Amino acid sequence: MSLLYEYRVFLFSGFIQTLLMSLVVAAGTTMVAIVLVIAVRSRQRVIRIAGYTLVEVLRDIPLMVNVLMVYFMLPLVGLGFGPFWSACIAISVWGGANGAQILRAGLNSVGNGQREAAAAFNFGPAKTLLLIVLPQAMPVIIPPYVGLMTAVVQATSLGAVVGAQELLRSGQILIEQTTIMRGGSPAYLVYGSILVVYFILCSLISFAGGRLEAFYKRPYRGDANEDRIESRIHDIEATVQTSA
Amino acid sequence: MTIIDWGYIWDAVPDLLQGLKMTLLVSVLAILLSLLMGLIGCALRMSPLKIVGYAVAAYVEFIRGTPYLVQVFFVFYGLPNLGLTLSVFWSGVVALSIWASVFHIESFRAGLSSVSKDIHNTSASLGLRRWQHALLVVLPIAARSALPSTLNTVVSTIKNSAYLQAIGLVELTFVAVDRIAYEFRATEMFLSICVIYLVIVLAVSGLGHRLERRLNRPYEGR
Repeated sequence: MSLLYEYRVFLFSGFIQTLLMSLVVAAGTTMVAIVLVIAVRSRQRVIRIAGYTLVEVLRDIPLMVNVLMVYFMLPLVGLGFGPFWSACIAISVWGGANGAQILRAGLNSVGNGQREAAAAFNFGPAKTLLLIVLPQAMPVIIPPYVGLMTAVVQATSLGAVVGAQELLRSGQILIEQTTIMRGGSPAYLVYGSILVVYFILCSLISFAGGRLEAFYKRPYRGDANEDRIESRIHDIEATVQTSA
Repeated sequence: MTIIDWGYIWDAVPDLLQGLKMTLLVSVLAILLSLLMGLIGCALRMSPLKIVGYAVAAYVEFIRGTPYLVQVFFVFYGLPNLGLTLSVFWSGVVALSIWASVFHIESFRAGLSSVSKDIHNTSASLGLRRWQHALLVVLPIAARSALPSTLNTVVSTIKNSAYLQAIGLVELTFVAVDRIAYEFRATEMFLSICVIYLVIVLAVSGLGHRLERRLNRPYEGR
């Protein structure tokens, strides 16, 4: 424990990088997911098929391969971003594909009658989406989406593989240095502590997500839709990865 | 971007096949072990002893809430400090199984809880014994309900075997990255392994969907 205290500044700077990376991938995931879901729901057949293919391929390639691929291949086309940003891009793209899957299933869970009713009230597409469809889709979207958010936050640890200076990489450096200088590897202590830090971070996200979930579910409490929502959530969670 | 050199890929095929063999071996072992752990964990989770159930729930929450890569490092680099030294291969199998088992525990539990409680009385009134009730009534219903998420976890197990390149297991991704480090043919190597992973994943999930359809046949049109 004293070792951790001794190097607290070093480890804390790694943790800050992890937090920064988490924010970037959370925002990136959401942006990519929205773009992909627009593509998947496009009226143009070509765009729709391209969207589907992209979502499917990105979900089927291991995240580790995705991270390494972006890191090694972007420089080939003259886009060298360094480890931090290439890891962020890779994780956002992977998360975005899973997010698009969640959004698509969530939007599909709202019956067509709702859209027709909105059209009968002379609601435009934007108004229909924001005022009619999304509020009803949210209870289905939020729980798996919160799971995805914890997954992309966990995935930031993959930055260590390509050399981004985040928490795991700081831990690795600390272990290497201590082993060389003092002998005896503190791997058990350092990796154990990193596990605990991530667990606390993800628990906080899940807790906040739970509050959000409760907020969106409130209108349906105790009515017949509650079970339907639960089973939809279960179906979506069976198709996306909620941990990385 | 450079044009793809097919000859280079052809030359790399023996290495890639070696890596593929290792990927499949680790994945199959981990899938079997994690399913077994999932069954045991699910049984313990639902045990009448509250403490045991909570312990399993805590295990599930902890593994789900922590990055898989750190778990891999903990098993490979950390456990020797505790006096448990595993080879790269077995570290990989153990870490992968631990990760997958928690999802199996959850999906098995969800499957079991999808079976209505009233069905117990139905079985009792038909004079079925407890094991008959469990094996002939509950299991077929629960298995169908748990199948999609179980398949998802099985596919993820194969994909996540790629993380094990980080501890130096010579599997598919390791082979590709290793060759890139010496020969700088990133395009060719990543194209090859992406295609291989895609084929494996699509094949396994395709088989899974066939199984799902086969099992759902009695319920079609209802």
